[in-house]
This record gives sequence, C-alpha cells and structure tokens, in this order.
Amino acid sequence: MKTNLKQLATGLAGGLTLMLSSSLLLAAPPVSEIIEKANQASYYAGQDGRSEARMRIEDSRGRTQTRQFTVLRQNVEGSDRQNYLVVFSRPSEYRNTVFLVHKNPSADDDRWLYLPDMDLVRRIAPGDKRTSFVGAHIFYEDISGRNLNDDNHELLEETEDQYVLKSTPKDAGSVEFASFQTWIDKETFLPVRIEYTDSSGEVYRIMENANIEEVDGYPTPMMMRVQDLNSGGNTVVQFRGVSYDLGIPDSAFTERSLRNPPSEWLDRR
Amino acid sequence: MHLEKLYGYLGSATLALSLVATPVLANDWASGDDWGDDWEEEEESRLPFRVGGFLEAAGGAHIHDNKVVDDRIGKNYNLAETRVRLDIDGDWKAVDYSLKVDGVADGVDEEFRAELREALVSFEVGERTDVRAGRQVLTWGTGDLLFINDLFPKDWQSFLIGRDEDYLKGPSDAIRTIWYGEEVTVDLVWSPLFKEGNYPDGDRLSYFNPMEGGQSAQPISDNAREPNSFPDDGELALRLATRQAGVEYELYGYWGYWPEPNDLSRVMEGGKAKHPELHVYGASLRTGLGPGLFNAEAGYYHSGDYDNSGTNAALTPNSEVRFLMGYDWELVTNLNVGLQYYLEWNQDHDEQKAAWTSLEQAGMGMKEMAGEEYRQLLTTRLTYTQMRGDLMWSLFAFVSPSDEDYYLRPSVRYRASDELTLSAGGNLFGGENDYSFFGQFEKDSNVYLRARYRF
Repeated sequence: MKTNLKQLATGLAGGLTLMLSSSLLLAAPPVSEIIEKANQASYYAGQDGRSEARMRIEDSRGRTQTRQFTVLRQNVEGSDRQNYLVVFSRPSEYRNTVFLVHKNPSADDDRWLYLPDMDLVRRIAPGDKRTSFVGAHIFYEDISGRNLNDDNHELLEETEDQYVLKSTPKDAGSVEFASFQTWIDKETFLPVRIEYTDSSGEVYRIMENANIEEVDGYPTPMMMRVQDLNSGGNTVVQFRGVSYDLGIPDSAFTERSLRNPPSEWLDRR
Repeated sequence: MHLEKLYGYLGSATLALSLVATPVLANDWASGDDWGDDWEEEEESRLPFRVGGFLEAAGGAHIHDNKVVDDRIGKNYNLAETRVRLDIDGDWKAVDYSLKVDGVADGVDEEFRAELREALVSFEVGERTDVRAGRQVLTWGTGDLLFINDLFPKDWQSFLIGRDEDYLKGPSDAIRTIWYGEEVTVDLVWSPLFKEGNYPDGDRLSYFNPMEGGQSAQPISDNAREPNSFPDDGELALRLATRQAGVEYELYGYWGYWPEPNDLSRVMEGGKAKHPELHVYGASLRTGLGPGLFNAEAGYYHSGDYDNSGTNAALTPNSEVRFLMGYDWELVTNLNVGLQYYLEWNQDHDEQKAAWTSLEQAGMGMKEMAGEEYRQLLTTRLTYTQMRGDLMWSLFAFVSPSDEDYYLRPSVRYRASDELTLSAGGNLFGGENDYSFFGQFEKDSNVYLRARYRF
C-alpha cells in the first residue's frame, strides 16, 4: 500500500510539474547522465584546483567556531580517482594539521591526518565517512563526494531550471538517512540544494550551494551551507582564491606534503 | 489515513516547488555580510613570524595514600601547574623555523622553569630531500600508545600523571633527513647525544624497587649514568617506507641505548645503574581492512650488554622480540574501537629465572621477578564523540593476562570554543603483584583536571 501511495505521489508531483513546465514534454536525459554530470561539476571541475575556505560553525545556542584551510585537488588522469590535500591555518589548535585523501570510488579511500604537535601521521579508518569533519556540520563525505553507486537514483521532476532527483541508499543500514533529494541546476549541473530525510520522513539535514561564479571557465559555488535541523546548528563555508588547471604535480599529494606542505601550490598566486 | 499521507506528499511537493521558485530568499545566508572580514591574512601581520600558544592550568591528586611519595615530597597530589606555551613559526628565504617553549609554574616541584619543546629549522635540499635540524618531536611506528620501533624519547611521567597526551613524546635534539624517492621514503634521524626517557622517579610516582624489595620513592635518576660522551654516545634511527596497493610497509633500525637505566649489575657494589646498548631491527605494515584499519609491527631488541655470568642475567636486560597487531574501526557512528595485542618475548628467560632464583636464595628479591617468558598485553581504546567532536569520551585500557595487571585511562574532553578546552580524567592502576609492570603503580593512581585557553 505504501509503495502504491508513493507511486501515486510521485505521479502527482510529476503531473504538477507538467502543468508548470511545458518543456518537460521533451524527454529529460537519463538519471545516470544527470548524476554523472552533477558529480563532475561538483567534484571534478578542471584537471586540478585550489581553494581557500573558511567555515563558521554555529551551534543551536548561537555560539560560533571558525576553521580556515586551503584545499588542493587533483584528478587522476583516466580514472575517477582523485587526490585531496587540506592544510589548516586556523584556529591555532589545528594550525599545520594536514589532511590527505586518495579517493578511490571503486574501492575504499585512503585517508591520513598529520598532527604536528606529536609529529604523528594517523591513518583514518575507511568506515567513518558520515561523521563531522573537524567539528563542522559537514561530513568527510561532503568534502570529497559520495560514491554514486552507493545509492539508487530517480528523477522526481524537472522544472524549467532544475532537475530534482531522489536518491535512496542501497544499503540502508550503512547511513543515517533514508533518502536524499537533490535540486540540480540545469545550466551548470551544480546541486544547489540537497535535503536528507530520515526514516520517519522528516527532512533533518539541508545542504546548499550558492553564489555560483564562473572561475577559469568552471561554475563554482563560493558559499555553501549545511543545516542540521535536529540539533539546530549550521555550518557556512565561504570559498575564495579559487583557481583551476594549475598543473599541480602528483608529488603534492604524497606523504611528504603532510610534514612539508607544498607552499608553492598552497600560497595564493 | 491514506488521505493524510497524500496531503503530506502534496505538501512537501508544493514546499519543494516554492523553494525552487524563490531561491533568492533562501540565499540570505550566502551574502556573508554578518560575518565580518576575518580571514586570517598572513601578509597583514606586523611581525615577520606568527605567534600563538596557550595558557593551561592543571591539577591532579593521588586517589590512595601513597606513603613513600608523601614522605619524600610532603604532598598527596602529583600535578599542580600553570603552563604558558608560546609557538613561533615563520620562514626566512627558503628556511622555515619554529620555536615552541613552555613556561611552567610548578606547584609540585615548587619551581618556575622553561621547557624548550621545539627549536628547529627545516629546509629542502635538492628536489627530493627535506632536512629538519634542532630540537623536535619525532614519531613513527603503527602502535597506539605502544611503541616498538619508535625509540624517540618518551616522557612517561607526564603521561602517567595526567598532562596532555602530546607530552608523552619528549623532544629529541637531532638532525632528520628524509629522502622521498619514487617508491621508497628513507628517513634518517641522528641524535648526537643519547637522551633517556623520563620514567617514574619517586617525586610524583613511586615504583617497585627490586633492590629494596618494595615500593620506593628513591630517585632513580640520581643513581643512573647516562651515556654522554659526544659523539660516541649518539643515537641513529632509520626508517624505510613504501606503499604498495594501499598497504604501507616500513622497515626500521635503531642503534643506541635502552631508554631506561635497566643495567643494575653495578648497583650491588654501590655503582650506578646504566643504559645498556640497544640495537633494534623491525618492520611494520598498515592497511585498510573491511570497515577499519589493520596494523602489525615487530622488532628484535638486541641487548648489547646482556651478561649471563653470575646473577647478572637478572640485572642486565635480555634481548627480546616484540610484536603487536591492532584493528581500529567505527563500530557505530561516532563510536570508535581500537584493539591491540602486544607481546614481549624474553630471549634468555631460563638464564634470567635461574639468576633470580640465586638472588632469592641470597636473600634479595624473589624468583617471580624474572617475570614471564612471554609478556602479553591487550589494549582497547573506546572513543565516543558527541556535539560534532566537541565532547569526547575516551577509555584506553591496558590489560596484561600474563602479568595479571591493568592500567585504565578514562577521560572526557569538552571543547567549549576555539579557545577553551576542558579535560578531566584518571590514571588507574592495579594488579595481583606489587612488582609487575602496571601493578607497581597501584598506589600512584590519580585523577586530574585541565583547562587550556588557546591564543
């Protein structure tokens, strides 16, 4: 019965869209193509890139914390693998802390954290991806992207400007959400809003991208926000100093960069 | 009922549509207007270097009467200090420099002192080599609070009385050269002068003294001789590392001295305890496995000054094989579990046991003090985080089935803001025998509180 209702609702939602948008009469691209393009636009823009970021983490009582860091990213040619290097400058507790990720969508990511006070290179277990990234409401997985094959995707509706997708995890026990819904901008293929729904059907987490600017030819969100509706807190991330296709060498994403971060690529040019 | 559900779906569909239709309203947060312009700008600083640090107050007390320590220092607490840390770092031309210095007002030692944690310069030589020279904290190996191939100085006293875990690692005065090859990393550390570990020394923690046959607060350090002739008494540590298909493999070598003064062969005749020669050869691996991380590490401890004449086998350290393996994973969201098995295999245990038996017959010590041929240890680390990590509960437990003793480290840490962190915890020891590794510290069990303000 429940499934029938769901189908009915989906049909109704589709019908509503039809009334609002006549352009839908033309077939939308297949879902797999939309999510693939959205994934490319969000995480794979350019051959490589750098960005400065600062996060303002606000709890339910309005108390704020700050994080500031620089991110280098590189696509591994001829594959969907990627490398990330994140070097923290603020607050002083995190200064010179370095986070290195070798992302491998077809297997597990390799992740390391360097803690300078103890000269300790800590490897992070592959499992815990949906936990807080350095105290923010953002998860590790939000930084480097969730594996597209972990969810089933369906197109809920298409508006004049956006595709609305619903994604349901294949392994429901592995994540805290029951499903999530993504609004993807048709022009840039960037997700502008993602809503996570829990098992009781309530939206409890919202992720948004805004202030999309074109940088080096790639549409880039300069602001991002994650709201945690359960706790009432949120994290806002502001980006600047973004650039793409710099020719960052592979060596910037090795063990060496943990102890000796490559200032040549991290410093603003 | 069905209609209600239908309305629910319709409602959310309408809501979604209205959100899509009015993106501008939803984007007020994205203006960044209420944020101020507080990007930290390196170039804006008036100083050519960056200054940071913290102010920390820490207090801790014994939870049992500890008569020997009380008699020696007249206090039943072993941690009462205020610490100011100053971190300075910067670069000049192609050289980075860093200075970390602590000023400590210490209520246990009743003194003010400065501790130099770090004073180093680092630079690149050619394309592939990094050099770090000066005072620095060094760490390698795969164990969690268990060290086989990491023989860099440890400050066990700080660790056992409840200072921040960072202080377990003491600084080395060394030159470190790391060469990053295509496949292999070669890491060489030369310390021109041996540096001993900081062990319980009677002033804050008592220990079992085999010579006295009981609990003691006598300073060991006064009665020990460190290798101190330059450059013969230096230390050399080597690490070769490679990663193949996601597995990290490392080889290690160490040429130096036992970190503790465990050669007691001269003590009977009124001489000093010594740090005997020690060479260590080892290997480790670390890899993702299932939902977690697996690591294994082994080392052969070649004790250079081991002597089996007379009763010396009891008084000089044996060669050992040490081994550990561990698994660490997130059991449920925000609850992390780390398990480790650790083994010390005494290579000439029969000789050691015979020597202790002779000593017992001569009225000194007991033959049980030879310990087991295989000393085994299990550790668990449970970490539970709440409030996105701002609140962290932790329990680290060492349990030795062979020694029948344990050491528990419960702690809770609350990060109230970017500046203020509060910590509380305990170091709880116990065991069947008062001479075993952890059992000897039963009377030293303590609880502590710390508040750290960063700037």
